Amino acid sequence: MPFTGKSGKFSAKINTVTVGTGDKAITIGGENVLPFYTFDDAIANAPKVGIEITDGGMDNEPECVKKYYEGCSTAVDMAKKAATFEGVDFLSIRLEGGDPNGENKPTEELVQILKDIADAVDLPLVVCGCKNVEKDGELLDKASSALAGKNVIVLSAREEDYKTIGASAGLAYKQIVGAESAVDINLAKQLNVLLTQLGVNGQSIVMNVGSAAAGYGFEYVVSTMDRVKAAALSQSDATLQMPIITPVASEVWGVKEAMASEADMPEWGSLEERAVDMEIETAAAVLASGSNAVILRHPESVKTISQLIKELV
Amino acid sequence: MTLFDVVFSGNDTVYGLTESAINDAIAKYGADKAVAFPDTAYSLPCYYAVTGTKVGNLGELKEALGVVKTLMTREQKLNDAFMSGVATALCAEFIEVLKYIDGAAPYEAPCYGHLGDPVIRELGVPLVTGDIPGVAVILGAAPTAEEGVALVKSYQAQGILVTLVGGIIDQCEELGYKTGANVRVIPLGKEVTSVIHAVSVAIRAALIFGNIKPGDAAGLMDYTMKRVPAFVNAFAPLDAVIVACGAGAIALGFPVITNEETFKVPKSLIVQKDVSKFNATSLEARDIKIKITNIDIPVAFASAFEGEIIRRGDMQVEFDGSRVDCFELVTTKDMAEVEDHKIEVIGPDLDGFEVGTKHSIAYVVEVAGKRMQSDFEPVIERKFHSYLNCVEGMMHTGQRDMIRIRVSKETFNAGFRLKHLGEVLYAKVKSEFAAVVDKCQVMIYTDDAMCTKLRHELATPVFDKRDERLDTLTDEGVDVYYSCIMCQAFSPSHVCVVTPERLGLCGAVSWLDAKATNELDPQGPCQVITKERVIDERIGEYEDVNEAVKKFSQGALEDVSLYSIIEKPMTSCGCFECICGIEPLSNGVCIANREYAGMTPIGMTFPELASMTGGGVQTPGFMGHGKHFISSKKFMKAEGGVKRIVWMPKELKEQVAERLNATAKELYGIDNFTDMIGDETVAEDPETLLAFLEEKGHPALSMEPMM
Repeated sequence: MPFTGKSGKFSAKINTVTVGTGDKAITIGGENVLPFYTFDDAIANAPKVGIEITDGGMDNEPECVKKYYEGCSTAVDMAKKAATFEGVDFLSIRLEGGDPNGENKPTEELVQILKDIADAVDLPLVVCGCKNVEKDGELLDKASSALAGKNVIVLSAREEDYKTIGASAGLAYKQIVGAESAVDINLAKQLNVLLTQLGVNGQSIVMNVGSAAAGYGFEYVVSTMDRVKAAALSQSDATLQMPIITPVASEVWGVKEAMASEADMPEWGSLEERAVDMEIETAAAVLASGSNAVILRHPESVKTISQLIKELV
Repeated sequence: MTLFDVVFSGNDTVYGLTESAINDAIAKYGADKAVAFPDTAYSLPCYYAVTGTKVGNLGELKEALGVVKTLMTREQKLNDAFMSGVATALCAEFIEVLKYIDGAAPYEAPCYGHLGDPVIRELGVPLVTGDIPGVAVILGAAPTAEEGVALVKSYQAQGILVTLVGGIIDQCEELGYKTGANVRVIPLGKEVTSVIHAVSVAIRAALIFGNIKPGDAAGLMDYTMKRVPAFVNAFAPLDAVIVACGAGAIALGFPVITNEETFKVPKSLIVQKDVSKFNATSLEARDIKIKITNIDIPVAFASAFEGEIIRRGDMQVEFDGSRVDCFELVTTKDMAEVEDHKIEVIGPDLDGFEVGTKHSIAYVVEVAGKRMQSDFEPVIERKFHSYLNCVEGMMHTGQRDMIRIRVSKETFNAGFRLKHLGEVLYAKVKSEFAAVVDKCQVMIYTDDAMCTKLRHELATPVFDKRDERLDTLTDEGVDVYYSCIMCQAFSPSHVCVVTPERLGLCGAVSWLDAKATNELDPQGPCQVITKERVIDERIGEYEDVNEAVKKFSQGALEDVSLYSIIEKPMTSCGCFECICGIEPLSNGVCIANREYAGMTPIGMTFPELASMTGGGVQTPGFMGHGKHFISSKKFMKAEGGVKRIVWMPKELKEQVAERLNATAKELYGIDNFTDMIGDETVAEDPETLLAFLEEKGHPALSMEPMM
């Protein structure tokens, strides 16, 4: 009896979300099959790769990344440079200098950096807060206002501040709201429901369902993403059909494989190599688990992951 | 003259003024002259929102007035009055826009007049988040400047955005009261038509934040009614124009509170003669809840103090329910019976007691709320223990009439008194139970005779009634069950179905808890499960329950029974208090509790049993459950019920003995059933257990085989 292949495509699909404006705008989501299951059906939009810089500019970059930005002095210079790297689809700016427990830079200063970057590059933007709930409420509100019309992703609205971020980014300034939850399908779903009840259009939400560096409790991440996609596609759960964006860089560059010096860990070999490896491995794994976009830091990682996606889709 | 006639006449007056103003303007500038408010993308926001038509010049404004005229029907009906109110508001907008011709700046400080879109976006975010809990529109002059300013100040202190129209602006100026957008007190203008600038804010909020399409008048009014927490305070004297404007406000869902003796419309036009009560009346009418952010006590309040022990030597005073009459109670009252934030101490305060002495105390937290149910009373009350323990230098143990409270000398010396106990209870109940508690007052009694009397006459009957309710609460007696998926973070496919007779397997979520959780957090872990389509009464299987379980487990589970351990048993996460497993030799089940470290006759310890049972998978023959479930009549009902229990650790047996014996007596007429149940002192292996059971004549031995 001949084998007849059966397509595993679903009647439901992931929402399609366009980020940015003009020629460089990107579209993520739209697929009706499991990640990279191109044999079941064509993937509507290939996953996208973003590169992350911070408000701190060069000072914040690890040595091995700095060399790629040679000649840059400000975050704006870096943004311009980053836009030229191979494989970069979008730019993510993490405003970590705003953290009241850190540098506590004033909101106006950070928003000005964002505006300058938005004026200097035409890539789609993702704006990431400083993780402090109270400061993010103010910071991301002002950022949404300053970037009105640019159609950026605002990362992130969490359970604690979803009302402020949702109302500001989602309702007042019509940006895309990044809903962040901590590796739990129910919390992810609940946040989407709360945001839509607030009035935010479900088609303008992307999810950050949480991440970890590969090997650091990563199986939870994989299982959460698997189940989110399964619920979205096989059960047509509209409250989980938002595309997933995963900030990989902020996880990877804080673990020992990417930080321990060669002097301390001679047996581990080149710091740059293992840091890039860690970033690529984590990114590849979250893409295989269902992420529609990843945010990376090292230009080599961006290039490799971008090639990987091209080969697979 | 009826209220309708007043509205109609006010409307006619304003319409007449508007018509002549437009005609004059056309005569002066010509029909092509542009009209617009500054800084807005919404043309004439009110007219645009209601009709979907943008007005660009005087000619179009004249046409628009024709449209307004069609709203001005004159039947003696509520809708006619509302529409005339809306028409009045639109006329006011037309009059106002004429002031802005040629880019004029008709308003000067302190008045703002029209507010631009950026202001609305900025104010809109805190309005949506509730950081601005409401919007007050104060119209006219208060009886005295002091009263007016006191009212403004009271709203300001609550974070409410205040807009001022007319005489109140002069009153604020007279007393040098600071106004401005930065302090959220915005004088709009001194003429009554400037009230439209407040309406315009509400309407643009609906367009911007509510995605209301211009022209969708019904959607607009629904949004402003439900989502824009605005209200109007109109001071006497009211003329027909103000009443007509008020009708417009009411049409948008904004109640009007006035101190003039006039017509009353329930929930919409409210007469409050006492201006000092405008605030409370307005908040209640508009159902605005003020967030409580700090607790006003002289010592710290934090969970870090929860485990604090106060020794006799450090203690200022003690209240001890085991020696004298004490109790704590939450009781539901009517809205009118509760004065929010009232805290009353009846009897001596802490400084009236000698150091180190023991006294009576009773505190009754009286709550009222549209969604409050008496079933929530014990749920709220149970939190008191944690609230009071969080106070630095305060220790609380027990519940109901068996409470004991100690206050430390240090805390007493810091100025802590009984009213602060009331403050803590008030603040926590109002903030944590905001969904159901609208108003809350605390009565604290330390008078001995009073405590004794209230304990017997008030508290004991309530506690008895609650116990009776719990005892009579059966699976058959309720219409719905609840899901609980609190544990899915680590047990992704597990779903607890919580019924009155089967609490969550962690032991912490009873049916009443689940019900309260659902009410307080409608999107949370506890969702309503209907039980209308029964499949099999014997094992407790329902189509609706299966559908819910499938949905909440993301498809991992297809069907569960509520009362069987063999057929489609409920899954377990990992938090079960107890595990019950089949012991084949004796044809019964053994139960092990988490605290039990030894071996069971099944041949497995609790951790070994747990590894079989947890993880959200169905394991026929094993189930996790709460301790309380052991004495339930629904325990393994499908397999014959509690008489299947052949073994339990001694400690657990003692804990459940009283209730379990009562159940066995009621179901099978067996006395002292727990004496027939083995424990680790009798046997840790099946053979010895069997010999023991045979000696006792345990009923399980003669029952049908389980498998």
